[in-house]
Amino acid sequence: MRIARNIFILALTFAFVWPVAGQTIGDFKMDETELYAMTKQMGQFMRRFNYEEDQFGERLNPKDPRYRSNEMRRQSLPILFDQEKYGTQTELQRYFIEDVTKGDSTFMTFLGGRWYSEVSATFRYNGKDVNVMLFLAVEKEGLGSKWVLTNVYFSEFNKLFPNGEMAEKEKHFLHPMSHELDFMNIYKAFQNTDVIEYYASKEYQPDYLTLFFYEIKKGHLVFKHVDSVKFHVLQIKDWYFEVSWFNRSGLNSGWLMSNVIYMPEKEKVNIIKFYQP
Amino acid sequence: MKKIIATLALVLCFAGISLAQDELSFERKQAIDSLALEKVRDLSKYIKIVGSKDTPFSEANRVIDRAEELFMSDAEIGVSSLSSNQITYYRVRKYFEHLMRLNYDRVEIEWYNIEYVSDLQRQPDGTYVGVITIFQTFRGYDAEGNLAYKDTTKKDITVYVKRKETQIGGRTIGFWDVLLGDMRVKETSNR
Repeated sequence: MRIARNIFILALTFAFVWPVAGQTIGDFKMDETELYAMTKQMGQFMRRFNYEEDQFGERLNPKDPRYRSNEMRRQSLPILFDQEKYGTQTELQRYFIEDVTKGDSTFMTFLGGRWYSEVSATFRYNGKDVNVMLFLAVEKEGLGSKWVLTNVYFSEFNKLFPNGEMAEKEKHFLHPMSHELDFMNIYKAFQNTDVIEYYASKEYQPDYLTLFFYEIKKGHLVFKHVDSVKFHVLQIKDWYFEVSWFNRSGLNSGWLMSNVIYMPEKEKVNIIKFYQP
Repeated sequence: MKKIIATLALVLCFAGISLAQDELSFERKQAIDSLALEKVRDLSKYIKIVGSKDTPFSEANRVIDRAEELFMSDAEIGVSSLSSNQITYYRVRKYFEHLMRLNYDRVEIEWYNIEYVSDLQRQPDGTYVGVITIFQTFRGYDAEGNLAYKDTTKKDITVYVKRKETQIGGRTIGFWDVLLGDMRVKETSNR
């Protein structure tokens, strides 16, 4: 089964990445087929997704009849899936390709919004190395654009604001006549600092990015290094997918779709709110 | 001298384009890609010369000077390996000096025939930014001629493209200035 699958991937890739290229240096033969097949940049992922470049990686002129051709996309899209997870002909993959190559198909664009970068990084916090996830989006500014920080996930911040039980929350409030007593009872809000946020409006949402900046400015959180990068794409109508880097041999490597979920547009609202509150 | 004339000719080809131009035509993008690729090919050539154990010290230093001129002054080179994702940062000169001092008897550095050029995006000040990806194989041999180390690295090189103007014979001529920026060097799976 696995052999048959590998043969299929090979055939698929050769159809897309052709011809096989090679050069000989000294005793070594350098086979470039794998590197042609690799989706080398996120920008190449977009170009392949849209079919804006040919099988040699050459940019297509928008006047070229093959440019953004849905017929060509049906051939090239399978190689953008992580085949180790999705195989080559799963129902989901077929449905995805059929859906995004329909008449009213959608294309990925760099400045189209609703795609986010997740940067997993190591910071130093209270003498220990900790993992922090940074979320970034492309924002238009001036004559061009730039990546901006939109949110952050750090487990220590989330521990500060747990989802408390409603019964417990209902015990903590300032009664509506507190103002007549010069808020003499407000001291109670500050007695149990673990639940201070229960005294805030029901609309209140902690702003983790501000907390993050605060901890950085105070010198409590110190950046060490980036560990990995992936992308969350919500730009394509009714679909969510992740694009991750696969550093491996073979004909299915580089930036590939690692998690594909059918997601109607209205369900995307909460996810987008997480990446960009 | 020939190179200067060729560059000048290329520059004049692009003369007379408005600075306010927002969208680059397909043909212009291709021309800019060629300019950027020329710089990257120069860089590849310099890496090979400096890495070679046959290159005399003085010649290697001269080539490092040339290599530095390809880059923006604050450019950095970030290197990681398969064993560690952690990035080590080098300034351009330090990177080349490190390459020159590698402790092998013989070194082979070759480039795959793949140059992948991204789209150019504008940053807020209007400068165009792109990334060119190239692949290199490195092999280091010991005194007995045995292969001591080998790797294949993916090099993602930032390219800055800026529209500039100069005066030639009383005429204002526009040209595209290309400089290399930060370079990310990442080891790929053994091939």
